[in-house]
Amino acid sequence: MIKIKDLEKYYKTEELQTIALNKLSFEVKQGEFIAVMGPSGCGKSTLLNILGMLDDSDGGSFIFNGEEVINYNERKRASIRKHNIGFVFQSFNLIDQLTVFENVELPLIYTGVKKAERKKKVEAVLEKMQIMHRRKHFPQQLSGGQQQRVAVARAVVNDPKLILADEPTGNLDSSNGNEVMELLTELNDQGTTIIMVTHSEHDAKYSHRIIRMLDGQKVTENSLV
Amino acid sequence: MLRNHFKIAWRNLVKNKGLSIINIIGLALGMAVVILIGLWINDEVTYNQNHENYDRIAHVLLNRTANGETRTRTPIPFPLGEEIRKKYGDSFDYVVMSSFHGDNILSIDNKSLSMYGGFMEPDALRMLSLKMMYGDWGGLKKPNSVVISQSTAKAFFDDINPIGKFIKVNNLLNVVVTGVYQDIPFNARFHGLEFIAPWELYVTSHDWVRYARDNNLWDNNSYQLFVQIADGTDMTLVNAKIKDAIYNNLPDYSRSHPELVLHPMKDWHLRSNWKNGVNIGGFIQYVWLFGVIGLFVLLLACINFMNLSTAQSEKRAKEVGVLKSIGSSKRQLINQFLSESFLVVVLAFILAVNLVFLAIPAFNQLADKQIIFPYKNMLFWLINVGFILVTSIIAGSYPAFYLSSFRPVKVLKGTFKAGKMAMTFRKTLVIVQFTVSVILVIGTIVVKKQIDHSKNRPIGYEKNRLVMIEKVTEDYEGKYNTLRSELLNSGAIAEMSESSSPLTDVWSSGGGFEWEGKDPNFLTNIVTVCVSHDYGNTVGWDLVEGRDFSRTFSTDSTAFILNEAAVKYMGIKNPIGKTIRWNNQEHQVIGVVKNILAESPFEPVKQAVYMIKYNNTNWIELKLNPYKSANESLAAVKTVFNKYIPNVPFEYQFVGDAFAKKFVAEERIRKLSTVFTFFAIFISCLGLFGLTSFIVEQRTKEIGIRKVVGASVFTLWKLLSKDFIMLIALAIIIAVPLAYYGATHWLNNYEYRTEISWKVFAISGIGAVAMTLLTVSLQAIKIARANPIKSLKIE
Ligand SMILES: Nc1ncnc2c1ncn2[C@@H]1O[C@H](COP(=O)(O)OP(=O)(O)OP(=O)(O)O)[C@@H](O)[C@H]1O
Ligand SMILES: [Mg+2]
Repeated sequence: MIKIKDLEKYYKTEELQTIALNKLSFEVKQGEFIAVMGPSGCGKSTLLNILGMLDDSDGGSFIFNGEEVINYNERKRASIRKHNIGFVFQSFNLIDQLTVFENVELPLIYTGVKKAERKKKVEAVLEKMQIMHRRKHFPQQLSGGQQQRVAVARAVVNDPKLILADEPTGNLDSSNGNEVMELLTELNDQGTTIIMVTHSEHDAKYSHRIIRMLDGQKVTENSLV
Repeated sequence: MLRNHFKIAWRNLVKNKGLSIINIIGLALGMAVVILIGLWINDEVTYNQNHENYDRIAHVLLNRTANGETRTRTPIPFPLGEEIRKKYGDSFDYVVMSSFHGDNILSIDNKSLSMYGGFMEPDALRMLSLKMMYGDWGGLKKPNSVVISQSTAKAFFDDINPIGKFIKVNNLLNVVVTGVYQDIPFNARFHGLEFIAPWELYVTSHDWVRYARDNNLWDNNSYQLFVQIADGTDMTLVNAKIKDAIYNNLPDYSRSHPELVLHPMKDWHLRSNWKNGVNIGGFIQYVWLFGVIGLFVLLLACINFMNLSTAQSEKRAKEVGVLKSIGSSKRQLINQFLSESFLVVVLAFILAVNLVFLAIPAFNQLADKQIIFPYKNMLFWLINVGFILVTSIIAGSYPAFYLSSFRPVKVLKGTFKAGKMAMTFRKTLVIVQFTVSVILVIGTIVVKKQIDHSKNRPIGYEKNRLVMIEKVTEDYEGKYNTLRSELLNSGAIAEMSESSSPLTDVWSSGGGFEWEGKDPNFLTNIVTVCVSHDYGNTVGWDLVEGRDFSRTFSTDSTAFILNEAAVKYMGIKNPIGKTIRWNNQEHQVIGVVKNILAESPFEPVKQAVYMIKYNNTNWIELKLNPYKSANESLAAVKTVFNKYIPNVPFEYQFVGDAFAKKFVAEERIRKLSTVFTFFAIFISCLGLFGLTSFIVEQRTKEIGIRKVVGASVFTLWKLLSKDFIMLIALAIIIAVPLAYYGATHWLNNYEYRTEISWKVFAISGIGAVAMTLLTVSLQAIKIARANPIKSLKIE
């Protein structure tokens, strides 16, 4: 499903240039559950942003579903993104002014789903995430675990083929964290490809394969299945 | 403590450079506009105050009633001055008869210049408290004297003392200079008065005036009367005493009932309109209007300040929390924020004063003023200090009280969110701003439409290449035919004529007309214009019926040509061939012409009759040769005039230019309101820009998230613009009826007026929406296109 080769990314600031990704290559197959690990600053988030087409790379190749997307413009990437990819962030990133229901509904609005259908889909996914009873609440009124479940619900409401999760349990205690991991596993079992960045060996164990990075490069890759 | 306040204030300004600059520029522009308008208003209301006895001087006007309508006019009869002096002398310090002022030819041996002036009784100098440079206020006591202005003196005699020098007036009267007065200031009715000659000289040198004196003509109104009421008397009471001074001498005139009105000098400039014998104001309405506009512009600028300050409030919330938790009292916080607004206002004021200083020359030109920046005037600065204080309190109060009332615990825990109230307040302010701007835009468009409407009105003659020359002296008498044939031969002109009134004014009108079918009780008043045979061909009037005057019919010497208004006024069917009796003579109507617009372009044309009379003309009209350049023709005309009328400097004006002067006041209003409207819009947009940047900044994270989950740039732009469009729509809805009301009210000043079409509102509304979209989009698109990761990282 994803094939990257010699992917490069630099950040230039006034005095120095940081190499965030240094000729990184790997492949991810449909239905896989990948964990990306490595010390802080090694380029994990950068990688995820590029895979999610939120950011440009500075070189290399990125094939998504058999298409070379590296030179796609903003519009095309946005279109691929909204139909194929869901995001889960460490800091939830819910919109404070919108209710749980409205937050989850948002991606459907942007892909042009009709209102009745949206309602059905949102309710289904909230049911699945077990926060249906909170649908009229605002994010600040929820616990961290609940907020992350809403974020996951929002990420999957469009039935994306790929979920990118950047430290989804980073702000949660272990029991809430486990709940989120169970959710991701369940989604993966239903066929969604998942790429998850994590600092936790415990969480990484839920995945099929762990990619370890250092200074923008892949160090090892070990399969757990 | 105060120093500390200002230190923090300064740092905050520097920290939020962008917003501070918007704040200061916006406020400075607002203040500059207010200061300019203030100086303008001051200039308007101090008109004529150069005269010491300004509050006791009055112009004696005459109310006359015809057919139920009272008209107020300046001309009064000859014996009135003496009558008032004799019978009511106790109530007056000075009673001054005066001729109408106009251009006269003054000359010394080798120099002849056209000078604006008139003949007045000797007390004029004292009454007007003219500042004498040479001679004294007794200067007009001897009949063969003249008192001249400083610039006249300079023009004729350079810098030497001219007392005792001889000057010839209108190539006729030899007079001696007995005094020189300083030029009368620009903002005074008598500004530009270049000489005053004694009234006595006027009487002795003009047959018709002498005739009026010798025969005690009470019913011939051709002069003016100025008075100064005695100290301690009351204008209204004095007015009541003298009001029948004419009527008492003309008991037969009970129907028109002439009644005198004192028009106080303080009202000359700003309250000069009369309706049914009562003063109904005048230019004062524009003083009020611009005063209000000025205040609104300042309010707009203050609103920006409040808006941006409260917008920053969430960012400042933490600072307030900290300050409060370390024991700062609410009072100290309020002082802190007021210091900040004071600092901004002072900076803005400094900028504003500089702007005003730079703008004054342009403004003077625009407003036709000679305002000087009053940097030496203590009062001006004192008012400004007050102005700064008031502005900082208006601008700073809301932020100060709003911010200082934050609850520290909430703020520090991070649960503080600006309430709905704050947002509503902010939105209200934007609505107010745009309401004002839209009203101003609509008003300006309506003024422009009214001017265009009146300018495009048919005038009844062809003003292209038409030149008029006033026959200021007797030198022109008996030279009509010579001049005309010489000019025609030279090829400079296509035709020449003479007339008693200029094309752009009405100089005489009278009653006593009788025609078949006239109601005997109907008091007539018809404009009378005496012309030469060639008038119609020269001015290109439009005959709708009958024929023009012709030399082939000797009977044309008593014939009348009517304008359409006169036909309607008299109610005659088929006027051609009908007889009108006037001055005990029968006049046959030979033609009807389209109305010639001589007076105000904003009023209907009055009924007029045209008749042939060669010995009562004051103006020459020339239609320049259409196949030659105007300059070439005028040079040729000048040669001819210099040859036959050597003692009068050749001066002419294009009728088109004289006609354009009728719009000067309205054009000025239009220009001023355009400028102020522009500033109001600019300030509003500045405010909108500031508010958008704040809101966008506040919503950065939200926009990032929306983008990540699939929102397009267009969707985000719509999202961000929608709120503002709603506000503007509301502003338009409020503004339209208010503007409609105001515009209708203003247009009611004019009898000939434009309709207010819905298009005006549509254009203003669309304009406002477009400006809003532009302002908002600048930032909305920027943020919508930004990389969402960056905005999410802020967390
Ligand atoms: N916008 C940016 N500008 C400059 N440098 C950046 C930027 N974003 C990331 N970097 C640098 O790129 C490198 C990779 O950053 P990245 O955020 O991908 O690390 P990470 O592996 O996700 O770290 P962490 O585990 O702490 O989240 C780091 O050295 C970081 O400092
Ligand atoms: Mg990271």
